[in-house]
Amino acid sequence: MIEIEHLTKRYGETIVVDDVSLRVEEGTIAVVVGTSGAGKSTLLRMINRLVEPSSGRVLIDGRDTLSIPEDELRHRIGYVIQAYGLFPHRTVSQNIATVPRLLGWDRKKIAARVDELLDLFQLDPGEFAGKFPHELSGGQQQRVGVARALAAKPAVLLMDEPFGALDPVIRSKAQDDLLAIQRRLGATIVLVTHDMNEAFHLGDRIAVMDQARLLQYAAPAELLTHPAEPFVEQLTGTAERPFRLLSLTRVKEALEPGDAEGEALVLSTTLHDALARLIALGKDALPVIDASGKAVGRITVERILAHGRLPA
Amino acid sequence: MSARALTFRAAALILLVAFITAPQLFAFVFKPLTVNDAPAIYNHGSLLALTLSHLRTVFLATLASTVLAVGLGIFVTRPSGSEFLPLSRSLVNIGQTFPPVAVLAIAVPLVGFGEKPTFIALFLYGLLPIFENTLAGLSEVPPQALEAAKGMGMNARQRLLQVELPLALPVILAGIRLSVIIGLGTATIGSTVAAKGLGEVIIAGLQSNNVAFVLQGGLVVALLAVLIHDGMGIAERAVAKRLGRPVDEVA
Ligand SMILES: Nc1ncnc2c1ncn2[C@@H]1O[C@H](COP(=O)(O)OP(=O)(O)OP(=O)(O)O)[C@@H](O)[C@H]1O
Ligand SMILES: [Mg+2]
Repeated sequence: MIEIEHLTKRYGETIVVDDVSLRVEEGTIAVVVGTSGAGKSTLLRMINRLVEPSSGRVLIDGRDTLSIPEDELRHRIGYVIQAYGLFPHRTVSQNIATVPRLLGWDRKKIAARVDELLDLFQLDPGEFAGKFPHELSGGQQQRVGVARALAAKPAVLLMDEPFGALDPVIRSKAQDDLLAIQRRLGATIVLVTHDMNEAFHLGDRIAVMDQARLLQYAAPAELLTHPAEPFVEQLTGTAERPFRLLSLTRVKEALEPGDAEGEALVLSTTLHDALARLIALGKDALPVIDASGKAVGRITVERILAHGRLPA
Repeated sequence: MSARALTFRAAALILLVAFITAPQLFAFVFKPLTVNDAPAIYNHGSLLALTLSHLRTVFLATLASTVLAVGLGIFVTRPSGSEFLPLSRSLVNIGQTFPPVAVLAIAVPLVGFGEKPTFIALFLYGLLPIFENTLAGLSEVPPQALEAAKGMGMNARQRLLQVELPLALPVILAGIRLSVIIGLGTATIGSTVAAKGLGEVIIAGLQSNNVAFVLQGGLVVALLAVLIHDGMGIAERAVAKRLGRPVDEVA
């Protein structure tokens, strides 16, 4: 768990982060969004003390980060930056082994961990372990960057625009991979992005920053239904909001009893995708089945539309 | 390097070794250049010994330049030393702009004749290329790599030894190579103040009007320069390759 309390950063007269407080629960993903220069990176970098706060404090699992020597703190916090920052003079496996080596793990343990991570990120050790970063594609470099950040099994992972340089297809794959890995490892993640789709896809909670201030920190649906300020509404895309809301809700929540004709939808489908199916098939209703294939009810256009309605 | 270039280097090396170990074998080449039955091959000392002491002076002077210039380059790129950057730059620049002959002239009264003044001149002259290349190499380290190193908890020393210096190494080596090559040529003037070196052969030739001597001295220095230049170039590329850089990126 990360608790940020009244964190402020000033450079001379300019306030770059202004009295920000927020809490990231154990094993969840908090996404920070906002315009360029809003102070997102600075906020993130104050968590691992790459930037020293002017005032306020950060607690990790209840411990003030100021009470931990900074290098030791950073050994325990994974850090991924936009350009990945891979060491060009080190191979993929040496890059991944960076923190374990700093921590003095023995060779065998490091080698085993590197192989495990290469597997996890679908990089064949035989092919990739000995390659240098310049021999990798952008997507592969990105995976190595994340693998390196996870090497010493940090409980906290900080990611500053980790997918910024990827093309849309690879990017959405990388996001899914991150979600899968996060569920498996249960890490607490703070991720900065410019991409609102990414924020809604990944975030358990989303923090909206503008001009050094934290405008709102809430669950994605809350951000859509109750934006705290016009800026939040604007950032989430005024016209897009109903559709985003539908993407966040699953068929399960709009299920009604009864039956319908046609190809069945699964309970875990999002309302967004369900509506797309209904439109494409020209239907008003479709049957719904659970994961085991048993019919459990039906979904209707009317119910879906009701879920996309925003409070006036 | 192409096969032809390689053959050429090998031939140059064989020629050089043969010439400094058994110069009399080549007397017939130089004989036509002499007049009044003057000796065709330098006869006041062994060419081999002169070559070795020439190399020794250059090696020691460059070693000293390297230690100081790299050390200074590291120091002024640390936060604690950054305010000394302009000062170090001008000092090192003075070392380069002061002609070695003038350094010899000043050094001789202070340290006497022999190898010492030559060493001082070469040392001062060799500082600039190494210092500037150290600065360039360190400043070319990708900022993201440094940020990542810091973010993963490397301390200042670990960042320097594990990230900055390895990445700057090819550029630093290129600076050292430049100093060595400059030093090889410049060391010849050391013979004017009685340093043992190949300059002796050239000067003897000039004094006795013996073109053969001048040519011999010049030839050995030139061959040494070409071979050392290439040898160090190969070493640099090997280092760059081990450091994971595409070879064509290294000039
Ligand atoms: N070391 C520094 N000294 C002075 N100002 C700084 C420093 N670092 C950052 N700033 C300023 O702080 C502000 C916030 O920077 P920050 O990098 O946190 O923004 P950001 O939200 O991450 O922006 P982006 O989306 O473009 O990455 C910017 O105006 C920047 O110029
Ligand atoms: Mg940023």
